[in-house]
Amino acid sequence: MSAAPHLPDNTIEAPGTRAPLILGDNDFASVTEKVCGIVERRQLPRAWYVVFAVSCSLTALLVAVVGYLFLAGIGVWGLNIPVGWGFDITTFVFWVGIGHAGTLISAILFLFRQKWRTGINRFAEAMTIFAVMCAGMFPAIHTGRPWFDYWLFPYPNQMYVWPNFRSPLLWDVFAVSTYFTVSLMFWYTGMIPDLATLRDRATTRVRKIAYGLLSLGWRGSGRHWHRYERVYLMLAALATPLVLSVHSVVSFDFAVAQLPGWHSTIFPPYFVAGAIFSGFAMVITLIVPVRSLFGLQEMITARHLDNMAKITLATGLMVAYSYGVEFFMAWYSGNPFERFALANRALGPYAWAFWIMMACNVAAPQAFWFKRVRTTPWMLVGVSILVNIGMWFERFVIIVSSLSRGYLPSSWGYYKPTWVELCTLAGSFGLFMTLFLLFLRFGPMMAMAEVKSVMPAAGLDRGPHHGHGQYWGEIPHQHDRQEGDARP
Amino acid sequence: MRQGSGDRGPGSGERSEAHEPQLDDHEAAGEVVNRTRVGKEHWRSLDELADTPEFRTVVEKEFPGLAEELLSPQTRRAFLKVMGASLGVAGLAGCRWPKETILPFANRPEDRIPGVPQQYATAMELGGAAVGLLVTSYDGRPVKIEGNPLHPASRGAAGAFAQASLLELYDPDRSTHVVRRDGGQMFPASWDEFAAFAGPHFAALRAKKGAGLAVLSEDSSSPSLARLRSRFAEMFPEATWVSWEAIPRDDGRLAAARLFGEPLRPLLRFDRADVVLCLDADPIFDHPAAVAHARDFAARRRGEGGTMSRVYSTGAVMSLTAAAADHRLAVASSRVAGVAARVLVELEMLGVPAPAGREFAQLATAEPGEAAFAAAAAADLAAARGRGLVVAGPRQTAAHDIAAAINLALGNVGATVAYVRDGLPAPASASDGLDTFLAAVERGGVGTALVLGGNPAYAAVPSQRFLDRFARVPVRIHVSLFDDETSRASTWHLPRAHYLEAWGDVRSWDGTYSVQQPLIEALYGGRTPTEVVASLLGDANAAGYEVVRATFKGLGGPDGFEEAWRRTLNDGVLAGSAFPEVKTVVAQTGGVIAAAPAAGDGAATGLEAVFVADASVYDGRFANNAWLQEMPDPLTKITWDNAALLSPGTAAAVGVKHGDVVRVRRGDKAAEIAVYVMPGHADGTVVLPLGYGRTAAGRVGDGVGVDTYVLRAPGGLHFVGGVALEKTGRTHTLACTQDQQAIDRVGYEARGQRIAEIVREGTLAEFVADPEFVRKQDELPAMLPIFSSPQLTGEHQWAMSIDLAACIGCNACMIACQAENNIAVVGREQVIRGRVMHWIRVDRYFSGKPETPRVAFQPMACQQCENAPCEQVCPVAATMHSDEGLNEQVYNRCVGTRYCSNNCPYKVRRFNFFNYFKNVPQSEKMAFNPEVTVRGRGVMEKCSFCIQRIEAVKIAAKNDRRPIRDGEIVPACAQTCPAQAIVFGDIKDAASRVSRLRADHRSYSVLGELNTKPRTTYLAKLRNPSPKVEEG
Repeated sequence: MSAAPHLPDNTIEAPGTRAPLILGDNDFASVTEKVCGIVERRQLPRAWYVVFAVSCSLTALLVAVVGYLFLAGIGVWGLNIPVGWGFDITTFVFWVGIGHAGTLISAILFLFRQKWRTGINRFAEAMTIFAVMCAGMFPAIHTGRPWFDYWLFPYPNQMYVWPNFRSPLLWDVFAVSTYFTVSLMFWYTGMIPDLATLRDRATTRVRKIAYGLLSLGWRGSGRHWHRYERVYLMLAALATPLVLSVHSVVSFDFAVAQLPGWHSTIFPPYFVAGAIFSGFAMVITLIVPVRSLFGLQEMITARHLDNMAKITLATGLMVAYSYGVEFFMAWYSGNPFERFALANRALGPYAWAFWIMMACNVAAPQAFWFKRVRTTPWMLVGVSILVNIGMWFERFVIIVSSLSRGYLPSSWGYYKPTWVELCTLAGSFGLFMTLFLLFLRFGPMMAMAEVKSVMPAAGLDRGPHHGHGQYWGEIPHQHDRQEGDARP
Repeated sequence: MRQGSGDRGPGSGERSEAHEPQLDDHEAAGEVVNRTRVGKEHWRSLDELADTPEFRTVVEKEFPGLAEELLSPQTRRAFLKVMGASLGVAGLAGCRWPKETILPFANRPEDRIPGVPQQYATAMELGGAAVGLLVTSYDGRPVKIEGNPLHPASRGAAGAFAQASLLELYDPDRSTHVVRRDGGQMFPASWDEFAAFAGPHFAALRAKKGAGLAVLSEDSSSPSLARLRSRFAEMFPEATWVSWEAIPRDDGRLAAARLFGEPLRPLLRFDRADVVLCLDADPIFDHPAAVAHARDFAARRRGEGGTMSRVYSTGAVMSLTAAAADHRLAVASSRVAGVAARVLVELEMLGVPAPAGREFAQLATAEPGEAAFAAAAAADLAAARGRGLVVAGPRQTAAHDIAAAINLALGNVGATVAYVRDGLPAPASASDGLDTFLAAVERGGVGTALVLGGNPAYAAVPSQRFLDRFARVPVRIHVSLFDDETSRASTWHLPRAHYLEAWGDVRSWDGTYSVQQPLIEALYGGRTPTEVVASLLGDANAAGYEVVRATFKGLGGPDGFEEAWRRTLNDGVLAGSAFPEVKTVVAQTGGVIAAAPAAGDGAATGLEAVFVADASVYDGRFANNAWLQEMPDPLTKITWDNAALLSPGTAAAVGVKHGDVVRVRRGDKAAEIAVYVMPGHADGTVVLPLGYGRTAAGRVGDGVGVDTYVLRAPGGLHFVGGVALEKTGRTHTLACTQDQQAIDRVGYEARGQRIAEIVREGTLAEFVADPEFVRKQDELPAMLPIFSSPQLTGEHQWAMSIDLAACIGCNACMIACQAENNIAVVGREQVIRGRVMHWIRVDRYFSGKPETPRVAFQPMACQQCENAPCEQVCPVAATMHSDEGLNEQVYNRCVGTRYCSNNCPYKVRRFNFFNYFKNVPQSEKMAFNPEVTVRGRGVMEKCSFCIQRIEAVKIAAKNDRRPIRDGEIVPACAQTCPAQAIVFGDIKDAASRVSRLRADHRSYSVLGELNTKPRTTYLAKLRNPSPKVEEG
């Protein structure tokens, strides 16, 4: 799993020079060859088949337990009064959060001209799409009568009934569906040139037709590139606020409620930070084995991992700060219900979950202060998995511990998941991994066109790079040349 | 609605004497009658179902106009199949249209409008005392039981047992036919077969003057049965007839017999009592007249006019009276007499002469705590001569005598306690009644045993002794609702008619006479014990109707018989029929003192076990009633189980904790039962509710809980010493609706802090000094709303007020709500999972020290918040606000996100996690209230303020073009509340009761700082502790 020893260390910051983002003896052709090679080779590493078999089994399990849920009723879960939400919404928020890293990497880092994003953005976006799919499933199956879920959408109907626009759950529907749509478009748009590459290289008829259809007639003309760049920029601009808004809206599910432990104004930023935190952890968790499996260490370098670890650390500190603020505000408000809600988290029946959360989300990422941890892949993965566990438990603690002890002590309860919920959680991971592995098999998992733009051959060293697709080298633009006068 | 005319009873119409009384108006009215087994029957295919001749007959009868068209096979065959299928889904074979007895209405009975419910007066007897009831009937199906406002033992209220007896009527496990058992084999039989056997058999017995015949009956107040019993005695002079109850209620009579020389029945008048001392007594809950007592008791607890009663309670058991008391002293049952005697001694020191010739003083306790309690009680009693009341409970003997002596000495007799002559044989039900019966068997020669009701094979002490003796009798006949343990030990089991399906007559505790009239044809062809006895006496006309009317003729005299009869049926009571009061009683000098309690000193001989009637199953007879099984115990909140209740001190001393299974051992008898640590019980005592561990109760009750009868001793029916607890190392999950989980320190502290805010309370002195004290209690500033409040423009604005000072926590409201609103029973597993469905629950909070807890009850249903948090978060707008201020739940629209419940601060919303009505037996479907939707799986539900009742009154008022009167709309909970703690009304009418109560000084909102603006407000609880007693 460790990076090949012969590669130079590109994590060192040498003043005056840009650290290379593509290592080794790579040119445009070799990048294309490596990325397309994964899709085109007949046999994948054995690990892929093993993981895929496990994932498919879990997906089948998911179908089975959801079918059972639909047939028998929500009572097969461990929910009760007062705990009306448990694993379902916890896992929903978890997966939505996971998705955030992808959008952050592809949109916000794009706008901020973070060139290192090119190596991982496709991968992370794919993760976003699949995570949001997993997330979206939970609100749909968690209702008592899932066959009426469509009532949550505002559509004109013979009943003359609109949904309740005051309900954050409704905003959730809008936020998540918007997010999914924009993310999908962004992902797909970015993939078109690479799909065209795959089409051009295709040797079988099926591949020719499939990739031909998917690449929408891309020929790589200047006009195509021009349109493409504009659309991509606009979609990035559109996706950027969504990074902030989606999880803010998700947090409204709790913040707008009056339940102590939920009713809190810090939730939107806190949730967004947590989402990015967990998302980056998930990218690290996935990308480290994948790059080693497919030999992509030259393109997904130690520097990429180092950067991601730093973001994880930064957002982890924000999350830790939010935890602190929650406790401070509970104390400072003087509201005994708020105070109790927080004390109950740390000392009540769900203290075990709280301390798992604290250990994983606050203590574990502190390891990323050490460069050795940030650049040692197995340590990175270890910490990231802990963060993922911690972030799942964060949502569990917020939802379940608050619900279990609300206002009236007579109605305090305790929630324990059933095997059906555990299987559903496992199944959602199975679904996610199945989709992800299929993407690795059939899609361009790295944005080849973008990676090429940050290679020395693209003339990056010649001036301030405006990001994506600005080829200083072969195809100079008059306009760009004027802007780029600052180059030495 | 209640009929104004005298012609209310189904038996009160024009009736020719030749009429077969069983075939009365019910059948004439085309009502559902089924002589075959009610239940699900299966069919194999739709074709088979749709083409049966029966089906065609039904269709022809149902749709005479349509039938021709429908039944032409060529044209309408497809439609027919669809229709047949839908009927099949509803259980065609089980639907209650009998083939042979259906008759159309040729003439509509007077006041009978299809779809309009009618109420009939009847009465339910339990343990020899009746409570008058009004039963609502929809198209011939009784669906709701309420108290009869004209009846003195009810005054409109009904307890949980009476209300839940509706479900008992429809219980599919009731026995459906006569059973003959022979040599361990069981043969279905019929009444005709029994008659063929009994005719010659009893004729032979008559020839022998009844020698070898023994009758064991339940306690009964029925004048008809008493009349038949005297005829029986004439006809079978050699026969033995004893009555027996597992939980006898003759304690007061026996004490009067000892003290006054006559078995007089004491009637308690709590409304006149300023000071009440309860000696191991629970008169407001566990008493034949509890419903009436609760009303009187609660009336004196509201602090009206700055006065209220002061209640002292002592005894081992934390009962509802103990919970309501101002001063509670937990002592072992065997020490209660000592405390009582100490009160007498203290009174003597205060100049109250004790009855001469009795050496009660020698019993007096010298223990300082007990003496202090006794001194405080004595001081208050002495200061309130003629306004005090000392009540001893059914488990006490000597304490009873002392209580009677104190009442006599203080001049309370005739004022707060009235003695009446009940005219029953003395003593009506000696606890050795069963011994008499068994002794007769033992002497030999008993060839025929007739057991009228009761279940001695389960509840006798010890039951094995009963079974051994009983088996020696060759002919054993048992009349009962269920084919129960005793039936299985009998040679003949005769299905008993439920009181809702048979004619009968009963007297209430004070003697008021009521007629039981059938609301429905006997579902399984059962007969009442009265009818059975009448037929055994060879009466030509043994039908209940004739027997009861004949008795009634004897009561009222021949003049105006029909009019009096019809008036009694209509009113549910016969005016002036109460037992005559004995104005003066004189204590006999000398005489016997009841034996001092035999249990002995708890410390020396181990623990003392106390056996109490269970709040849900009573003595076990309601074990198969799912409503009652799921009704939480008022104090422990246990459902579907019983437990060994230990005080925290005893539990610590024994080294057990909540949920541990212990072996309770007395000699060679043992029962393994889970521990529930219950604050307030006496140390050194283990309290064991009776009535569980049934083996032949039915599908609901079998195997629920643990049989504690086995630990009862013949000499210690109520409490017995020398009991040891042994740990088994096992644990058992008790299904509690509150505090299901053990609490941790942080939760314990927070709960303690919150209770004071949620259940506000103060002392009478505080209230008098500052009536505004409730409002001055800490309250956080209200939150600001993020949404505008709904427009409350309706003509009425509904609201409710619940008086915590009055509420005694008896659960009557829960059953009323369950019956009224078709609330599902979910079962033990689901209760453990926290999915109980009750729309109204009674929260129970303890405060103070665990040894001497103070208890507060808080009925909690949907608060109908004006700023309802649930409404704001429902994504599909399934819960909305009406312009009359109701928070309405639209089941059809609900998708079941449960967000509303998550956001409900009061956690009163209930979710259908499963389709809880999936397997409702056919017969129980008849218990549904047709005015209320039966909710399916996946939807949220909650209290609606009984919107169906609101709308019914609104429609009626609109039709009459009149305004709605205050108090005309009464939700089910408020209607039945024995303490009258719940008041409902329109706050737009400033003069309405609820408006005035909301303006009361004691009024407050629970969690008002959330700015939910609840429409249900509470009146703070008041206590009236003696200023002379330091609160421990």
